[in-house]
Amino acid sequence: MSFNTFLLVPILLLFVLLVVAVLRSPSLISASGIGSAIIVVAPLILATYALMSVAIAGRATVDLSVGPLIGFINVTLIQLHGADLVSSPIAVFLYAIAVGVAYQLLMGLIIIFVRVQPIIVALSGFLALSGINLVIMSRPGGTAPDWMMPWGAGTTIDSPILVILILATAGWLLFSNTAFYGHLRLMGSDERAAYTSGVRIYIVRLGAHVISGIFSALAALTFTALIGSGDPTQGTTYTLIAVTALVLGGTSLAGGRGGVTGSLLGAINLFLIGYVLATFSFGSVQGFVTDLAYGIILVISLLLTVGLPKIQRFIRAVSPYMLFMVLTLIFFSITLHKKYDYDRLVTKPEVDQSLLSELLPPPVVLSGTEIAETVADNSENLNSVETVPENTTASISPDNRNIDTTVVVITDSATFNKGEASPELSMMQLEPDAPAASSQPTVADTTTEISVVTNTGLSISSFIFEPLDSDASTQRSESQLVRPITFAIIILLSFVLVLRAVVAQTGKHKMTPLIFVIISTAVLLGGYFLVEASSLPKLGSDMYKGGSEK
Amino acid sequence: MSAAHETKAMMTPIGRAAKWIGLFLGVIISGLGLILGFWQGVPAQQVIFLTAATFALVIWVWNSYLNRWLVELSINDDGKDKDPVSSRAALREFALRNLGLLISLGLLITAFFILAAAIDSFLSLVNIIVGLILVLLLIVAVKASQFFVDNRSAFIGLTVLVALFIVASMKIDGFLSLTNIKSMLVFASFLGLACLGQTLVALMGGLDLSIPFIIGSANVGLLYLIGLGVPPWLAVIIVLLLGVVIGIINGFLSFRLQGSALILTLGVGFAVSGITQILTSIGTEYAGNVFGTVPNWLKNLASMNGNTFGLDVPPVIFIWVIVAAVLIYGLKNSVYGRNLYALGGNRTSADRLSISERRYWIGAYAISGGVAALTGELLLGWSGGGFIGVGQPYLFMTLAAVVMGGTSLLGGYGGYGFTVIGVLVLQVLTSFLVGIGLRFEWQQFIFGLLIVPMVALYARSPHIRTQI
Repeated sequence: MSFNTFLLVPILLLFVLLVVAVLRSPSLISASGIGSAIIVVAPLILATYALMSVAIAGRATVDLSVGPLIGFINVTLIQLHGADLVSSPIAVFLYAIAVGVAYQLLMGLIIIFVRVQPIIVALSGFLALSGINLVIMSRPGGTAPDWMMPWGAGTTIDSPILVILILATAGWLLFSNTAFYGHLRLMGSDERAAYTSGVRIYIVRLGAHVISGIFSALAALTFTALIGSGDPTQGTTYTLIAVTALVLGGTSLAGGRGGVTGSLLGAINLFLIGYVLATFSFGSVQGFVTDLAYGIILVISLLLTVGLPKIQRFIRAVSPYMLFMVLTLIFFSITLHKKYDYDRLVTKPEVDQSLLSELLPPPVVLSGTEIAETVADNSENLNSVETVPENTTASISPDNRNIDTTVVVITDSATFNKGEASPELSMMQLEPDAPAASSQPTVADTTTEISVVTNTGLSISSFIFEPLDSDASTQRSESQLVRPITFAIIILLSFVLVLRAVVAQTGKHKMTPLIFVIISTAVLLGGYFLVEASSLPKLGSDMYKGGSEK
Repeated sequence: MSAAHETKAMMTPIGRAAKWIGLFLGVIISGLGLILGFWQGVPAQQVIFLTAATFALVIWVWNSYLNRWLVELSINDDGKDKDPVSSRAALREFALRNLGLLISLGLLITAFFILAAAIDSFLSLVNIIVGLILVLLLIVAVKASQFFVDNRSAFIGLTVLVALFIVASMKIDGFLSLTNIKSMLVFASFLGLACLGQTLVALMGGLDLSIPFIIGSANVGLLYLIGLGVPPWLAVIIVLLLGVVIGIINGFLSFRLQGSALILTLGVGFAVSGITQILTSIGTEYAGNVFGTVPNWLKNLASMNGNTFGLDVPPVIFIWVIVAAVLIYGLKNSVYGRNLYALGGNRTSADRLSISERRYWIGAYAISGGVAALTGELLLGWSGGGFIGVGQPYLFMTLAAVVMGGTSLLGGYGGYGFTVIGVLVLQVLTSFLVGIGLRFEWQQFIFGLLIVPMVALYARSPHIRTQI
C-alpha cells in the first residue's frame, strides 16, 4: 500500500465538491470568490498542518489543543496590540511564533519526560487554554493591527495570506526531503525500531512539536486577519474541524503516515462541503444539515480508506497525481462551460437603427426620485426592489417587441453627461433568462449598467449594455475563434502532461509527479484566465460583460 | 543476618500489636468526630453515619498500610546492609528519587506565593492551613501510593477527594449541607452515567466521542416524541433503543478502524445530532427548539427536589449507584467483564481464547450508546426542556473523568470504580471552585492543569528502553 493511494479519496471528493460548487454558485471561480475562499480556509489548512506534523510523530498524538492555542495567540495578540506593546509586523510574527513554539515545546517535553499519553496532555491543554482564553478576553472585541486589516478583505487572490499558505506548504515539502523527516516517519511508524536504530527520538519528537507550533502560530495569524479582532471561543471550534480535515486527508492518527498534500486537500474539502451546502437554502435547519453532511462524509471517507487495500489490485495503476490532472481537466471544462456565455455565440438579428428610432417614441428622462417612484408604483409586481442611486437619470421607453413591458434604462449620470452614452440606449439584448449580475453594478468604460423593470416579468434585473456599433460583428467572430482555439490548446497540453505523468509513473524518470501537477494547474489556470477575463481584478464582476474584449 | 531473623520472628507480635494500635486510633479519631459533630449541632443520624464511616476508613487504611509495610519489611531485610554513604550522596539520591514530588511541591509553593502576592487578603490563617493540608496530602498521596500496585489511581483519587472535602468544608459555608451534597451527587450521576460507556470502550482501547451528541439527540428526541403524542414510557424505550442502535453503528463502523475510533465516532455524532435536529425541525418554524411537556415521573426521576419512595433524594442518584455497583461487580466477576479486560490487554491472546473481538467491541459501543441516550433522557427530566447542546460539556468531561480515574485509554486497565472516583473528584472540585467564586473559565483552566499531574502520578508509560 503506497502512501499516495490514500490521496485518492480526498482527490475524488475534492473534485466532486468543486464541480457541485461551480454548478451551484459560479461566483466561487472569480477573483473575489477564490480570494475570500483562501482567507476563510487558510486558518483551517494551517491548523490541519499543525495537527499533521505531530500526528506523524506517532503515539496517537491528536493535538486537541490546536484550536484553543489559535484562540490563545489571537486574544493575547489583540490584547497586547490594544496595550500598544506589539504592533509592527515583525513583532507580531515573532510573538505568535514564539508562543506557538513555546507551548508545543512544553507539550513535547511533558510527553517525553512525564511520559503521559499525548492525547491526555492535549486534552489537558485544551481545557486549560480554552479556560484561560476566556479569562484574558471575556467577549469578542479589540482590533487587529492596521496593517493586517486589508488581509481579510479577500477581494484579490494574491493576498499575503496566500503567501503565508504557499510558504508553509513549500516549507513542509522542503522539510520532507530531509533526513530528519525520514526519522520522524520512522519514529511514527515504529518508535522502538527508531530507537534501536539510533534515531534520537527525543530530538525528533521535539522537532515535530516545534514545527507544529510554527504552523499553529501561522494559523492564529491568519485567523486574526480573517476576523480582524479577538475572539476567545471561535478558535476553539477549529479543533474538531481540523481533526476531521486531517483524517479526511488520509493522515493516519496512529502515526507515520501523512503529508501536506493530503492535509491541504482535506481542509479544502471541508471548506467546500460548507460552501456547497450554503448554496442550498435549507432555511433554519442550515446548520444541522451542515453537521449531518460533515459527519456522513467523514464516516464514508474513513470507510473508503479501509476499503482501499481491498480494491488495491484494481487501482494499482491509478496514480493519484494522474487522477488529479484528469479531474482538473474535467473540472475546468465544466467551469468553462458553466461560466461561458453561450448566448453570445448566437448571432443576434441585426436591428435597423433608423427603423427602430422611428418606431420608438422619444425617451423620457427621469431623475433618481422619479425612478424610485416608478419602482414604488410597480412594487406589488416586483419581487425585489433595488435602491436607485440619487445621481442617476433614466429614460423610459415602451419596447416595440412587447408593448406592456416598461423598460427603465438607467445610465450613470457621469457617463450620460459626457455624451459617451446617449439616452437612446434602449436597444438592449433582452435575454429571457439572463442571470442577475452582481448586486453592486459597476459602470465600465464602454458599457453601461442598466436596470430593467418589467410589469409582467415581476423582477428587476441588472444587465450590462452592449453598444451595437459597426464593428461589433467582427469582434464577435474574433471571440468565436479565440475560444475553441484556447480550448484545444488546454486539452492538448493537458493530455501531453498526463502522458508525461504516466511515463514518470513507470519509474523511468525521477521527476516527481507533483511538478507535472503544478505545471498543468498553472497552464490550465493561465488558459482559463486568458479566456474568461481580460484582467484579473475584475474577474468577478465582468463575467457577463460581452463586449469588453478589445 | 540475625537481625533479619529476629524481625521475622517478631513479625506476628508486631502485627498483632499494630492492629490494636489501629483500633485505638480509629476509636479516637471517630470519637473526636462524634464529639465535634454533636458540638456543631449536626443531625444525629448524620453524625452516627459519618462516625461509622470514619472508623471503617481509618481501620481499613491502617490495616492495608500495615500489611504492605510488613511485607516490605520482610522482603527488605533479606538484602545486604548498605554501604555507608556520605550525607551529600544520600541527599542527592533522595532528591533524585523524589524529583517529581520536589518539583510539584516547589510549583505548589510558588503558586501559593504568587497568589498571595496577587490577591489581597489571600494570606489568611485558613488559607495557610488549607495550603499545608494540600501539601501534606500531596506527600502522603505520592509516598503512600508507591506501596500500591493495583489500585494506585483509586488511592490517589480518594486522597484527593478527601483533601478536597476537607479544604472545601473549611473554606465554604454550607459545603457539607445536605442540599449541596445532594446537588453534587445529582450532577455526578449525570456525568457518571455519561462516562459509563466511555469507560467500557476505553477498556477495549477505543474512544467514543459520540456520547455528547447522543445525549443531546436523546434529550431533544424524547421531548419531540412525547410532543407527537407517543406515550412517555414508550418514547423512553424507543429513544433508548435508538441510542443502542447508534452505538451498534458506531461499533460496527469503527471495528476495522480502531485507530480512528475517535474521529469516526465524532463523525457519527455529528450526523446523529444533525439528523435529529432536521427531523424535529420539520414542520416547525422554531428550528432546533422542541416544545412539549415532560411527564411528572420523569421530572421526579432527575430533578433536584425529586424523591424516591418517600425519601428526599432524587432517584437518579440511586440509579447511578445501582448501575455502578452492578458494573463494578460485573466487570470484575462476570465472564463478559473478564473477557473485556482480556481483549483490552492483549488482542492476540484473547483471540486464542476464542473471544470474539468484534462482538465485544460492538457490544461495548452499544452499551455506550444506550447509556448515553439514558443520560439524555434523565437530563430532560432535570431541565424540563429539550436542548440539543445539553451534551456539549460532556464531550471532553467524560474523557477527563475516565482519565483522572485511572482507566488507561490504551485498554486493558481500569474499571468503572475508578471512573466513579474520577467523576466524584471532578464534581467536588467544580463545586469547590464555584463555592470560592471562580467563574467557569477558571474552573476549566484548573481542570486542565490538574489532569496531567494526576495522570502522571499513576499512568506513566514505561521508558522506551524497557520496551525493547
